[in-house]
Amino acid sequence: MKHFFISLSLVLLAIGSFALYLLPVLWQPEPVLVFRIGVGAAIFSVLFVVAVLIQIVFVARNWGAEQSIRKVARERDEAHGQFLRRLDHELKNPLTALQATLTNLRETESDGEIQRGVENATQAANRLGRILGDLRKLSELEYQMLEHRLVDIEQLVSEMVGAACSLPAHRGRNVKLLVSKVPVLPSVLGDRDMLGLAFYNLIDNALKFTTLDDAIEVRIRQDGRSLFIEVADSGAGIPLQEQARVFEDLYRGENAREVDGSGLGLPLARRIVSLHGGEIALRSDPALERGSVFIVRLPAERKG
Amino acid sequence: MDRPTLLLADDDATIIAALTPFLERAGFHVLTASNGKDALEKAQSHRPDMIVLDVLMPRMDGRQVLRSLRHAGQQTPTILLTQVGDAHERALALEEGADDYLNKPFESNELLARIRAVLRRSQSGQASLSTAWRLAAHSLTIDRRARRAILDGQVLDLSPKAFALLEYLITHPDEVISRERLLQLVWGWEYPAGTRTVDTRMFELRKALGDDPSDPTFIETRAGEGYCFIAPVRLLP
Repeated sequence: MKHFFISLSLVLLAIGSFALYLLPVLWQPEPVLVFRIGVGAAIFSVLFVVAVLIQIVFVARNWGAEQSIRKVARERDEAHGQFLRRLDHELKNPLTALQATLTNLRETESDGEIQRGVENATQAANRLGRILGDLRKLSELEYQMLEHRLVDIEQLVSEMVGAACSLPAHRGRNVKLLVSKVPVLPSVLGDRDMLGLAFYNLIDNALKFTTLDDAIEVRIRQDGRSLFIEVADSGAGIPLQEQARVFEDLYRGENAREVDGSGLGLPLARRIVSLHGGEIALRSDPALERGSVFIVRLPAERKG
Repeated sequence: MDRPTLLLADDDATIIAALTPFLERAGFHVLTASNGKDALEKAQSHRPDMIVLDVLMPRMDGRQVLRSLRHAGQQTPTILLTQVGDAHERALALEEGADDYLNKPFESNELLARIRAVLRRSQSGQASLSTAWRLAAHSLTIDRRARRAILDGQVLDLSPKAFALLEYLITHPDEVISRERLLQLVWGWEYPAGTRTVDTRMFELRKALGDDPSDPTFIETRAGEGYCFIAPVRLLP
């Protein structure tokens, strides 16, 4: 019996010793690897983690920028495609007229019809010439150096009003020029001929899209460091959905269909104004459906 | 055989077909060529009185043809038909030794007027001024390469367009040049407020030259016709 209890005690002692050793292992596991890390290494590690995070943000932003570049390129391609389609359309009409006239001329023997045919053909050729001329102006603006001289805007605008009104189609029309005299208008630094072309296109547009009963005003005023030139008319106005598109190359609005033009007048004006560091805006109230105002802002040249 | 012979070179068959009978009716004997090489050969073998050369042609372009002719010492008066309307192209045309140039598209009558003016100048025995780099009239000298005009030793402050006007007028003295023509030459395209623009530039030019329009030394206004450079022009070395 005595041996039994000694054996049991030894067994219990052994189990107790094992428990003493094993329990912390079971309930509170010991770390498998233990590091000792210096302050420098700790800073390096933190900075490394931060650098990785920055890279991740950077790559994400780059990806975003790349997407927006792709979007711009896609839009440019679309605009280019649209330009070609519109050009095709604009060239097709006078060419069709020319072909039809030539067919008539081949078949007719009447002097009157021959004369009319020649007039028609001349008109169609002139129209093609005008489109080509405007396209050339647009392309020249891309690479030609602009002059940088002081331009007297009042004198220039008044010249352009005179030139537009002297066209046979606009004879008898009246364009009122209002110039704010106080303070004395400053000059604008730029290319006189190009600016003249921009103003001419705006005035010519106002004349083309209005009738004898409508009023047209050209207003010039200074506001701070800018010169504002407004071409306002009391015509039919421009529908809201067309307002953003009138400055697109070769765009022709609903009202413009039966009016002669290349569809390049406003885009030319906008490009010229922006090359001079200015901008051009359109205000036309679609609710009233009366009147449009084209506002050109140009940086004024400081006096003295 | 007093009909002047004109060599017309253009690779567009419809242009040749339309211009040939027109120029024949105007009194010329017309030779045609459809590429640059052909034009050079015909210019050398037939020795025409006048050459009208398109710039963009296959095998050899118009400017190369002109350069080869001038290099070989052949001074046949030549008009270049330029395709692109930009100022650079126009300046190049004169640099290659063309007596005049015309931008496509053009009116047939405009071409005829240019041909007659160039022929008149060459027949009067006047040296072609279009190929000269430096020219003088009274106390005015112009350096075409440096794009500079000097009056009484003072460099004039001229805009590039006013200089281009002066350059064309001085290289075509005693010739009345219409405002429309000047507009086409200097601006290269039809400008809406056309003739006024030319007048504005002419005003700038005259002011710089100190030229009184009512008693001009250099540039005379011919009412209803255009402008004319009246001072005697001499070539400078």
